[in-house]
Amino acid sequence: MKPRPIALIATALVSALVVAACGSSNSSTSSAGGGAASSSSTSSGGSSSSSGSGTINGAGSTLAAPIYQQWGSTLKGQGLTVNFNPVGSGAGQTQLASATVDFAGSDPSLKPSDKSKMKGPVLQFPVAAGAITVSYNLSGVKSGLKLDGPTVAKIFQGTIKTWNDPAIKTLNPGISLPSTNITVVHRSDSSGTTQGFTTWLSDVDPAWKSSVGEGKDVQWPTGTGGKGNSGVAAVVKQTAGAIGYVEQAYALENGFTYAAIKNSAGSYVLPTIPNTSAAFLGIKVPPDLGISTINSSNPGAYPIVSQTFLDAYKDPCKDGGTNSGTAAALKKFLTYAFGAGQQTLGAGSNQLPYAPVPSALADKDNTQLATMVCNGSPIS
Amino acid sequence: MSATALPQISARRRRTDKVMRGLVLAATIVALIPLILIIYYLIHKGLSAWTQSGFFTTDPTGSFFGSPGGIRSAILGSLEIVALATVISIPIGIGVALYLTEYGKEGWFANTVRYFVDVMTGVPSIMFGLFVYIVLVVGRFGGSGFAAWKGAVAISLLMLPIVIRSSEVVLLLVPSSLREAALALGAQRWRVVFRVVLPTAGPGLLTGSLLAIARGMGETAPLLFTVSTAFGLTFSLNQQMNTMPFLIYNDITSPRAALQTIAWGTALTLVVVVLILNLVARFIASRSRMA
Amino acid sequence: MEASATSVTGGRSALERSPAGRLPDRVLKWGLSALAALILILIIYFFIRLVGQSGHVFSTYGISFVFGNDWDVSRSIYHGGALLFGTIVTSIIALIIGVPIAVATAVFITELCPRRLRGSLSIVVDLLAAVPSVVYGLWGVFVLAPRLLPAEKWFASTFSFIPWIGGGIPTLYNYFIAGLILAIMILPIVSAISREVIATVPSENKEAALALGATRWEMIGMAVIPYSRSGIIGGAMLGMGRAIGETIAVVLVIGSAPKIGSHLFAQGYTLAAVIANEFGEATGIHTSALFAAGLVLFVLTLIVNMIARWFITRGSHGTRGTGATGMTIASGPAGEK
Repeated sequence: MKPRPIALIATALVSALVVAACGSSNSSTSSAGGGAASSSSTSSGGSSSSSGSGTINGAGSTLAAPIYQQWGSTLKGQGLTVNFNPVGSGAGQTQLASATVDFAGSDPSLKPSDKSKMKGPVLQFPVAAGAITVSYNLSGVKSGLKLDGPTVAKIFQGTIKTWNDPAIKTLNPGISLPSTNITVVHRSDSSGTTQGFTTWLSDVDPAWKSSVGEGKDVQWPTGTGGKGNSGVAAVVKQTAGAIGYVEQAYALENGFTYAAIKNSAGSYVLPTIPNTSAAFLGIKVPPDLGISTINSSNPGAYPIVSQTFLDAYKDPCKDGGTNSGTAAALKKFLTYAFGAGQQTLGAGSNQLPYAPVPSALADKDNTQLATMVCNGSPIS
Repeated sequence: MSATALPQISARRRRTDKVMRGLVLAATIVALIPLILIIYYLIHKGLSAWTQSGFFTTDPTGSFFGSPGGIRSAILGSLEIVALATVISIPIGIGVALYLTEYGKEGWFANTVRYFVDVMTGVPSIMFGLFVYIVLVVGRFGGSGFAAWKGAVAISLLMLPIVIRSSEVVLLLVPSSLREAALALGAQRWRVVFRVVLPTAGPGLLTGSLLAIARGMGETAPLLFTVSTAFGLTFSLNQQMNTMPFLIYNDITSPRAALQTIAWGTALTLVVVVLILNLVARFIASRSRMA
Repeated sequence: MEASATSVTGGRSALERSPAGRLPDRVLKWGLSALAALILILIIYFFIRLVGQSGHVFSTYGISFVFGNDWDVSRSIYHGGALLFGTIVTSIIALIIGVPIAVATAVFITELCPRRLRGSLSIVVDLLAAVPSVVYGLWGVFVLAPRLLPAEKWFASTFSFIPWIGGGIPTLYNYFIAGLILAIMILPIVSAISREVIATVPSENKEAALALGATRWEMIGMAVIPYSRSGIIGGAMLGMGRAIGETIAVVLVIGSAPKIGSHLFAQGYTLAAVIANEFGEATGIHTSALFAAGLVLFVLTLIVNMIARWFITRGSHGTRGTGATGMTIASGPAGEK
């Protein structure tokens, strides 16, 4: 009389049995698969790895996300899958520390306190630098509005409230500025872009340093939050009178107008690729490659340039919980990053709008890469 | 013909009646406006994504230049994860409901289980994601950090109370006279369960299950810290995977117009899938009610 | 029917069944009991981990974690008062906007609308529940927030004399937008439960009112609403439970500012939103603080849900809740909480 429901229930029961079998052995089957794929390496830490040795996972910097995603897109043709989740530099470091990803993208260099949270020694590789633009959405005003550090600081502190404030007018004689209210847009998540921007503000404005300070995450006195570079860009785009700090690639993508910022030599500089690259000149390179390109002393340099690093465990097998196959894939990716990958960055129309690292620094990256090992033995 | 004997309703009362009925109608129309607007924007913005070549047949490229690609990996990823979550939660859920109605009844243990399941329905879905994160992701359980099957576990935790509650309601509706008749004829309990109770409750169980699946399909929060994301297509459940809700969530904040279009197209796809599941569930429910 | 046919073939009475014959029965009974026990253990383990993870922050801050107003990741200070405030304010906005409309819809569908429209109209309202919350977020970000901003500005300046409501300068994302989206999201559940409850009003009551010469509206006011009041309140509370826990739609339109907003159109934060936004980057006490936020959120939902159930049981007038209400409560909107 009712054969159909019975069939349905039967199906449900069969699947119940399947699950009873699978549910309990889920982990064992998966690890068995991983073990079979990488039988050559017995990784310590009790975890054999995911079976796809051609897949590496990264997370972190939204500033550098377009770079990693573009490289991933290119390398896919060579059988290497690179997943990059743009969760912000802070989150990237956290995920590397919990070994849930194979590499982190981070704009600030690792502080000793960051390194102590990691499961083992971590290598940081400077990958590129990006200009942090001060972008605004102000009809009738083109790119190149001149702003200096103290003025930007006052805007982001909320003490300059309208666009026709005398402080902005004095810097920009001849530009007619509307009386529109200024809407400050900042990051709502922990971010390397915020670190770069507030580091610069603290460098150039003592009042900012004492009241707000610098960090991946600061207590903003005013303004609207946006998640990620893209979130800030989206709010700037939709709000008349908005001002926000976004990485250059995002500003260009949106056709934003951005300010010319006064650098340490006293000249107003636009965030172009040559001006960004100029920030690399004359910087100190410490042994752990933890460079800083913020507020470069080079007179031609745009002042708010953030370097971005790729962080990975020196021994990804021992500390990062991966297997030799994934470690080899990671090394392949890094080799590309400091070699052919650098060619994809620059001012060309088919290049990503970031400053590539100078060749001397790229050499140091490669030297450091050679020290990466898997369970103590070199990675083939 | 009209009741002339009755006293006339005063004009003021009649006016109040009219006005209030008008207000209630207006409120109903207001209630429908969001749905209409959402569907309008989904179709308006989503269809232009659907018509892009390869929207359903290619994966997102992640490339900064040129085409952002399609959403194949997100659709299949969502299906894989929800399928696994279904395989976990439906049998367990129906099993627990059977225990409650056939064995536990009003005993203290059954009532404790019932109470905790009720409590579980009130847990915000993101908490299941956090739970799976600390239990399975951080320890790299199974050799992976973020992985599709861990997301499926989080989703199934969320589906479980829904399945248990709705199945229990349906199983209670099976007339006890049917059970008693079968038992009186000498049938064993398990035969009664499999041959009488479950078949009778079948359509209702299916309805509840489909609603739970539809719910699991649209969830984003449990995926954030369990599956993470990927661009490429993978069938390995021990890897990061792309899913429709996560793709929308990530693309919403993108300033690239191309990616926003993709988000709308994905949203339209997701809503169509979820609506179909819902309508099928309602259809089954209404048919079985009529029978 | 067929079940009996097959089982009788054994020919034995149930009382003298052999132990072997009773094996499947035992397996089923103990199997299902084990399953139920497993669920119980799982849920208890879930809470142990949740409480364990948040222990650190509670031992540091005590109760001031819940009510103190200073959430500053950069200085590693975690008092979640502003988050609790945002959660409560957005859900109250959702109730104020959503409940009257939902109840009116329920009244219209059950009492006023032509009978053949009834079914399809309820399905259409229920469909709102099927829209995933990330889609509400998408719509909120690209359509609702930018389109409503001018209206909000007009409203805030026109009604600037009303404290907290007017006077401020609206931001793109704010409490009101989040509350409005929540109102839409809770509409189907409140409406569905109200419909269920109104349907239980005995027709004698309604007919009595009509027989006394009441107009339709007076009948609704005299017979329907008083009878179903507590059920409707329960439905509203259940809707509030959903609004409190909603994460993804809110995180996109709340503005993510961990402070107590000075006006209705100011940006804020909610407990659920802060978890979604900050968990990925959290370490140490920050992680603990987010788990504690989850715990506060959970306790809040629990209280609200319990009040809701109490009202609904009371409102169902001894019928122990109709099947369909149970189903509605269990399945709820497809959007996530």
